[in-house]
Amino acid sequence: MVRSILSLAVIFLAASCTPTKIIVPLEQGQWQVGLTQGRPQINDGFLPVIGGYAAKGVSETRTNYGGVQLSSLLLGAVQLEGGQVRSWIPQDGLKPGVSWSYGGQAFMSTRDYAFRFYPETGINAYWEKGPHILNASANTWVDPTWFLADFNRGQIIAPSLSAGYRLRYKWIEAQVEYKMLNPIRELHIPQADIPSTAGLGGRGVYYGIAINF
Amino acid sequence: MRKFFALFVSALLLPSCADVSAAMFAGSDGTYNFKNEWLDPEYHVDESKIHLMDFQSDEDTIYALYVGDIAQIASDTIILYLHGNASSMDNFWETAGLFANLGGPHHFGFMMYDYRGFGWSTGRSTGAASMAADYDAVVAFLESQGLTSDRLIVVANSLGSLPAGPAAAGGSRIPIDKLVMEVPQSTSNIIMQNATGLSLPSSMITSYKFDLGKNMADYTGELLWMHGTADDVAPFETAEAAMQQHNGSYYQEAVYPDMGHGLRWDIGDTEWAGTILDFIRR
Repeated sequence: MVRSILSLAVIFLAASCTPTKIIVPLEQGQWQVGLTQGRPQINDGFLPVIGGYAAKGVSETRTNYGGVQLSSLLLGAVQLEGGQVRSWIPQDGLKPGVSWSYGGQAFMSTRDYAFRFYPETGINAYWEKGPHILNASANTWVDPTWFLADFNRGQIIAPSLSAGYRLRYKWIEAQVEYKMLNPIRELHIPQADIPSTAGLGGRGVYYGIAINF
Repeated sequence: MRKFFALFVSALLLPSCADVSAAMFAGSDGTYNFKNEWLDPEYHVDESKIHLMDFQSDEDTIYALYVGDIAQIASDTIILYLHGNASSMDNFWETAGLFANLGGPHHFGFMMYDYRGFGWSTGRSTGAASMAADYDAVVAFLESQGLTSDRLIVVANSLGSLPAGPAAAGGSRIPIDKLVMEVPQSTSNIIMQNATGLSLPSSMITSYKFDLGKNMADYTGELLWMHGTADDVAPFETAEAAMQQHNGSYYQEAVYPDMGHGLRWDIGDTEWAGTILDFIRR
């Protein structure tokens, strides 16, 4: 039974939730390469899902990123993501800076080559002081193939809310983020409990480590 | 971008990858200590009618329990029970005792078996093919003993609904004409989609594809569906959608508000057994 729970939990983690990659756009020409460990909660424990990403500041206000979810790959699904983060409103004292992101998540089964693509967009409010970055973010995936879900149970948007802290110090960045997953839907894994935030969706904590160069 | 493309292509060429289907099965060792001492007195059986047997299923050995007179399979009505996702038949010995006393002591013959990887059955259950082969190995024995379609009752509990669906839809060497689906799942896709909230197909993580809705649409016999509305293992709404695809000769629902996946324990043996017995005798 434990194996069952673990396996399905990993799926849940791998498929529907990835940590926020970039909050504050990088400097032009700067690269960031990182590993993320997603830790959505299943039953009483947290389970790791590992992904990798790379990002590059393509201007002073825009950063492109791309990533792969390694755990999905182990299960037989190629999950790639890519997108751009743009600075929208610069930080002004205590007034937070705002950035927004857009991109997409692509999944393809290595078994039957079934393909799904989910555009995503998000907005981040951040406070940066020295090496410290605090953020609050809202993000949603859009499911353009919601009608392919069995028994008409698809939904067009899959939102998440998150808050996090990043330490960007010289060439290294450490990240931690709390995420409220898909609060508009009851997530379900057979024979497992998915703890929620205030009874909504799922929840998780994510860690990341990255280098800047 | 080129690096990502290379990664994407290399992933397509992976010769194999983890498949969660095997991990979804909860089988483990069993004791097969089928004795009256483990049963409530009302479910005691004639211990001389307890038969542990094994069959060949592909390269594996499947263990089965028959409660009744083997010599009377040619004339008795037989309940074939496809058990749920627990370690072995040990967990269903009480259920066996109940069925052995359904309608009176040893009124029906009763058979159940462990899928590969459950109890003493060797190998691993990996998907539809292995489950179908195990089912066929058991039914082949019953057929060889003279069982015919008009005396076969298939009762599938939870995980057991996965092999029962294709069997009912024409995959059984003894055609099924009376089927009980107790707390069944619905489709493999639904499990994935309920976990992610996205329209992802189950092929992203497993090669075990099942669709009980389609199976029920193809099943021409009689169906009794039993489910609790508070089932948190096999969600009621999707099971309902699958079972209501049935277009056979007779359809009956037994829906229990606020009851969970352990339906028999929740509603009590009397209601549970009475509902099944009424369906069998109709």
